[in-house]
Order: sequence, then C-alpha cells, then structure tokens
Amino acid sequence: MAATIPVLPDTSRADRIDRAGVFAAEWPIYAVLLASASIVVGLIWDISWHRTIGRDTFWSPPHVIEQIGAIVAGLSCGYVALKTTFAGSAEERARSVHFWKYFQAPLGAWVCIWGTIMMVTSAPFDNWWHNAYGLDVKIISPPHLVLASGMIAIQLGAMFMALGAQNRAVSEADRKRLAILFCIAAAVIIEMVTVMITEDASFANTMHGSRFYRVTGLMIPVFLVAFARASRLTWAATRIAIVYMLITMSAIWILQLFPASAKLAPIYNPVTHLIPPAFPLLLFAPAVAIDLLLKKKSINDWVLAILIGVAFVAVMLAVHWFWADFMMSPAARNFFFGADQWDYSSRPGPWRYQYWNLDTDQLGNWSAIEFAKKMSIALGLAVFSSRLGLAWGKSMSQIKR
Amino acid sequence: MIRSFVTTSGLACLYLLASAHVGSPDTWFEGQAGPYHVTVQIETAGVVPGVAKVFVRADGEQPDRVTVQANKFDATGGAPPPEPAMPVEGDPGLFQGRLWMMSGGSNSVTVNVSGKKGSGKVVVPVVVVAYTRLKLDKPMGAGLAAMGIFLFAGLVTIVGAAVREGSLAPGETPGTSTRNRARNAMVLTSVIAAVLLIGGWKWWNREDRAYEATMYRPFASSATIVTEGDHRVIRVAIDDSVWKHRWDTTWLQRNRGNSWSPLLEDHGKLMHLFLVREDLGAFAHLHPATTDTVAFPATLPPLPAGKYRVFADIVHESGFTHTLVNSIQIPASAGGGAAVGDPDDSWFAGPVASNGRAVLDSGVTMEWQSGSPLVAGRPANLNFLVRNADGAPATLTPYMGMAAHAVVQRDDGSVFVHLHPNGTFSMASQMALEMRQPGDTIRGTLGKRLTIAEMAAMKTAGPTTGVVMFPYAFPKPGKYRIWVQVRRGEKIHTAAFDADVKQAAPSG
Repeated sequence: MAATIPVLPDTSRADRIDRAGVFAAEWPIYAVLLASASIVVGLIWDISWHRTIGRDTFWSPPHVIEQIGAIVAGLSCGYVALKTTFAGSAEERARSVHFWKYFQAPLGAWVCIWGTIMMVTSAPFDNWWHNAYGLDVKIISPPHLVLASGMIAIQLGAMFMALGAQNRAVSEADRKRLAILFCIAAAVIIEMVTVMITEDASFANTMHGSRFYRVTGLMIPVFLVAFARASRLTWAATRIAIVYMLITMSAIWILQLFPASAKLAPIYNPVTHLIPPAFPLLLFAPAVAIDLLLKKKSINDWVLAILIGVAFVAVMLAVHWFWADFMMSPAARNFFFGADQWDYSSRPGPWRYQYWNLDTDQLGNWSAIEFAKKMSIALGLAVFSSRLGLAWGKSMSQIKR
Repeated sequence: MIRSFVTTSGLACLYLLASAHVGSPDTWFEGQAGPYHVTVQIETAGVVPGVAKVFVRADGEQPDRVTVQANKFDATGGAPPPEPAMPVEGDPGLFQGRLWMMSGGSNSVTVNVSGKKGSGKVVVPVVVVAYTRLKLDKPMGAGLAAMGIFLFAGLVTIVGAAVREGSLAPGETPGTSTRNRARNAMVLTSVIAAVLLIGGWKWWNREDRAYEATMYRPFASSATIVTEGDHRVIRVAIDDSVWKHRWDTTWLQRNRGNSWSPLLEDHGKLMHLFLVREDLGAFAHLHPATTDTVAFPATLPPLPAGKYRVFADIVHESGFTHTLVNSIQIPASAGGGAAVGDPDDSWFAGPVASNGRAVLDSGVTMEWQSGSPLVAGRPANLNFLVRNADGAPATLTPYMGMAAHAVVQRDDGSVFVHLHPNGTFSMASQMALEMRQPGDTIRGTLGKRLTIAEMAAMKTAGPTTGVVMFPYAFPKPGKYRIWVQVRRGEKIHTAAFDADVKQAAPSG
C-alpha cells in the first residue's frame, strides 16, 4: 500500500495516511496472529492447569483464552471474506482466492474460518464424549483431534495470511515487517508441534533415548525447514527457533508465579503453583545448521534433505545429550530452568532423576548397538521430514494470496 | 426438593447394573452430621472419571456452610480441599456440590456441615463404576454428520483454491494446467480425508468397545437348588474366575484381573440373599453360611413354586459392594422336614397392603404414611408406621442392627435395591471408609476390626418406636413393590406395598 500513496508536501500527514493504509490492509493478519498466539498460550496454560489443579470447566480461564482465539480468527476472517466478496476493492479481490466460485477471501482467511468451525464442532462432540466415556480418559481422542485440527488450521491460516502478504510486498520495509510476522506465526506453530510431542520429547529424562531423536527428527524438520525456506528473512530457522524458545521460557517464568493447588484426589505430589512446561528444546542449534545448509542454493533438494536430516539429528544429539545431564542436575531445579516439577498425580520416586525410554538389550541393560540401530531410524525420519519440508517450503514461498 | 434426576434423565442413557443394587445408581444417606440432621443424595456420572452431583439437605435451622470432599478408599495420596456446596435457589436447606470422581471402585464422600448449632460430618460410601451406555441421539448425530460433510467439502475446496489460485500474482487467472492440478489435488485431498474419516470412525468404534469392556459387571455367579436330607438348599456360587483366583497374583497379572479384597460381614452376614418371585407374589430374605466365600448355601424356606429372581448383596473389605443377579425355578415342595436356616432369615407370600395398610400377625398393622404422589427422581415418602393391635405405636427391636429393612423392586426386575433407614449404602462400607488406617495394607486386617466394631454397634442398637423411614427416590416411572421388614421381640414381620411411580413433569 505504501507504494501507492502519492507524494504529499506534508510528510507527517503522509506518514499517518501511510500507517492508516497499512493498518487497513494488514489488521486481519494481526488479528489472526493474536488468535493463533491465544490458542497456543491457552493450550500451554490448560496443560499446566490439568497438571496442577486437575479439575476444570468449559469456562476455565485457559479454555476461555482458546475460545477467544477461535472467535477472533473466525470473526475477523469471516468479516474479511464477506467484505471481499460483497464490498471488496478490485485490489482486495485480486489478491484473494475463490471458495465455491462465488465467495472470495485470502487463502489464509479460509483456512482460519475452517479451523474455527472445526473448533466449534469439537465442543459439543467433546462434551458428548465426556458424558459417554468419561472425563478425558485419554488425551488423544477423536474430539480432541478435531479440536487440535481446528487449532492448527487457525495457526496455519494465520501463517498463510502473513506469508501471502510477505510474498506480495513490494518495498523492502513492508517485506521485512511482514517477514517478521511470518516468523512469529511460524514459531507459534513450532510451539504447537512441540506441545504435541511433549510426552516423548520435552523432559530431559527422555533425551538419552533414541525415541527422543526419532520423534523430533520426524516432527520438527518438516516445519522448521519449510518455514525457513518460505521466509524472506536471513537466518529464518534460527530466528523462528529462538522465538519458539522465548515463548516457552516466558510460559515457564509466568506460570510459576501463580499459586495453585490440586483439586482432585488422590494428590501424591502436593503442588503450590502452576506447573510450568519443560524447558524448551534447544532448537536454535539445529536451526543454525538448517540455515547454513539452505544457503547452498546449488544443491539438489534430495541431497539437501539428506544433509539437513543428518545435520539435524547430529546437532540435536550433540546438544541435548549433555543438556539433559545439566537439566537433571540440582543446578536446573530453580525458577529459571523450572526443572523437576511434576504433576499433582505423580507419585514421587527415583524415576524423576532417571533416564526414560533407554535403548536396552534383552537383559534390560543400555545397549549402544540398540541405540545406534534406532538412531539410524531417526536419521531416516529426519531426512524424510526435511524433504517434505523443502517441498512444502518451496510451494509456500510462492503463495501470494 | 432433591430433583437431580430430571437432569440425568435428559441423557439418552440406559441404566444397567450399578454395583450394589440394580438399576438404582444413586446413593442416599440420612442421619446426623453432628447437630444437623441431613439427607445426602449422590448422583454419580455413570462414567469414570465423571462428575458426581452431591445434594445435601439439612433439616431445621439452615447451616451456614456445607462442603463435600471425595477420596478413594485406598488412596495413599492426600485428598483435595473440600468443595463448597452451594445453596439451591428457591429451595431453603438444600445445598448442591459437584465432585470429580477420578477413580473407579470404592470411594467416599465426606460431607461437612457447620453453622450456629455447631459442626459435624458424615462419610458416605460411594461405589464409582461405569454403568451408562450413552447413545448418540439423532439430533446430535445429524448435527455432527452435517458439520462433518461441510468441513470435508470446505477442506477440499480450500486445497483446490490454494493450488489453483494461491500462487498466482494478484489479478492473474489460472491456466488450464493449474486448474487440472487443482482438480487432482482436490481428488487426492478427498481420498485422504475419506481415509482419515474412515480411520476415525474405526477408532471411535474401538474406543467404544474398549469402554464397554470396562463397564461394571457383577461377578459371574450361579444359583441352584439341591436337596440335602429332608430339606432343600439354595446354593449361590461366585463362579467368576477373578474371584476364584483372588489370592493368585500370578494368575491375576496374566489375566489382568482386579485384585479383590475379602468379603466383610454387613449387619453380621457375609451375604444377604433375596428371592423374589417374578410375579412379586413371594419374597425371602436369607443369609447363607459359607466356608470358602465361593459357595453360599442357605436353607430354602417353604416358598410357593415359581420362577424367582435371585439377588445377592455382598461387601468387600474395600467397601465395594456387589449385587449378584440370577434367576431360578423353585419347584413345588414335596413336603419334608422343617427348614432350619439362619435365625434372621425371613420370607413372605402374603397379601399386599390394601389402601396403604398391611395387617401383620397378631393384629399388628403397618401403614404407609405416603403424602405426595410418587414421582421418579423425587424423594419418595417411604415412611411406615407400625402399630400394635391396640393401635399404639409398636416398639421395634433392631433387626440385624437396623430399625428396619426394605427391598424395592420394579415389576420387570430392572430395579432392585435393599434399603435401610439410613440410606441405600452398606453399613459395612461406611465403617470401612471411616475406620481405614494406614496400617491396613494386609488383606483382612481391616475386616477383622470392622467385624468386631460392627458386632459391637449391633449390640448397642436400641429399640425404636413405631415409625421407620427410608430415604430414597425411585429411579424411573413404573410399578414397584416394596417389602418392609421390622422386628417385634423375636418375631420378624414383613409387609408388602405397591407403588405406582409417575414420570416427572418436564421442568421449566
């Protein structure tokens, strides 16, 4: 929009008009980014709530934050779709895609609307599920998957909104600003992915087992590589990883400030404040490797995928193997690192300071051979994930609507 | 008014066996919480974990504060802080609280009442099991299907739009090849989404079957009649492999069986066995003796021939209660020797009370002092007045430690419950939950102490005069029969009453 503003003698007025024009064009991006962030904040808070207090309602504060995210995304994108379809300018229509031939809106807006409807659908379904089979007997249930799909769709939609704007931007200033928004949207998705793999790959106790590397190798590169390739920023993967880490660390520091206690029996571990998530994965390290490798424009994508996959697993292993030792030590049991904090329903025991999911032989002893065998699977998964990420990133870098 | 059933009946659910009792899942308690006389109704969710509703009614002066607290019988962890029960608007004296019951099995709800008169508490045993099968009703199913179709179509459309137009510069129109790619992407997305939906459907069915497998079922049992010498014996046997292997930890681990605690005496008996002829015309309350807690033989009284429903109440040391259900054909008696069974056995095949008044032996009468009409889900006035032949209220001696016993059965057998003036729960369960100590980890330790304590309590139970009351609400409309049993001196009297329970009017 800035490029279309005529040169005016009063530059301060021009700035105001410029800012107003930018706001008019970009407010939906900020709205859906807010929605995306609300959802992930609500989710982190909700998990902490369940680990600390246990009991909740449909209207518990974390749920309300998530619901606000869905409402903001649905309403803002719904408005954009209606306005573009019925009262949109030629420019707005030109940068939109068609839905059922008649309706028009940016691609990201449709994805957000779809996500909102998915989240809304999950509410009565989940309520019925609780009445039929019990309250959250399993975290992974059909209605929860519907809800998670809706959440992820809104976050992807938010990212597509920022991405389309970034790829359309003419001026360097616009591109940089929008690229930063894309970076934040991408970091929120990385946060979401790490939340989904919490059980297998968040606690330091898991970091000496190949399962940690297999799960992260499969789940992280596809997103991190794709986002880095689609971003117009330098060191994009590193920046995204750092934003992700800052989000998680902020959650650790903020949640611990709130006094809370368990409201469900039996209480094996009396808790006094909201239990924070585990310290974030040190993704900045493999992200640097990804950024360095992505600079090699001459390398074929298949070769690049192998290099990135291998580098990802190697750096993750090199960093987290020793990081785990630190996080398991008394030095990490403080406010900053938030280590050794467990659910109210956990029975305290030696498991807290032991490594889990270790690769053992038939006698139950740790086996380097077993570990090496399964780490080779981690390499394969990471290469596969990286290849998908490269392809997805390439197509995302072309999105303009 | 305690009216929670209205909300429960809104769920299209089918009640099955609900632990002790059949088709009557709510727990009722009536008694003293310190200076307050309270009635407590606990409505479990029928799923585990689930939210139980707790209703507390205090008679007389309203208390200032009522709290409720749940815990598991064998919880080695702490209990959460008590939850406040809030006054129910428009119904003075009634408080309602909600408790998350996280673990199946024997649980307790502790009710604390405090106010100007002082404070007191009661512990009410609650057996928490999954017993409901919630159907996906048509509006819900249609709504979900409609949303599913809409979301499916929306997803396919969005993918198509993304491939067709997403990468185009503003204003550019897609070419033929791009349109073809979009069409292919839509077909591929449709296939993937359909596969995911089918997978989701299968997953749902698997979860449903897994849930069904965890639903409560009483022990497998059998009932047979054998002739021993000159009299007949009814033999109830707990045939369930889990019970037969209850000491075999290896077998239990291999077969994923629950480790059941030993049985406890309730009112001095290990089993309360009820025989009810299908036409409700004959009734017996027997107490089999056992040497192995697997086979429970009882001398069969001279009941008229016919097909009988057999209900056997047992209590575990954990406080968990079962009602074993069977049926049996009792042939006509060939005569023979007099039945000599447990001294507390009783049976009845006499006429049903007329106009709420039953004439018992020796001119003694029992009147049902029913007030308002009987409505499903609402407290029933199960108040009975026993008079001597001269019309004066009779002095009732405790019958197995209680002022009275009552059995309620729906004419189709779908509801069966054994009541006492203090409620629907087992006294032994309540004592188990109140008396359990950290040292009671060895099976049977608590049971021994409880048996001694219960015998002492039964001995100290004093006589009552005339009136017996049972706190209860009929779970569903229909025709019921109630057998009320009292004791005068050494004589056990049984009276039968019919109840026609109406459907509650829609609220609101």
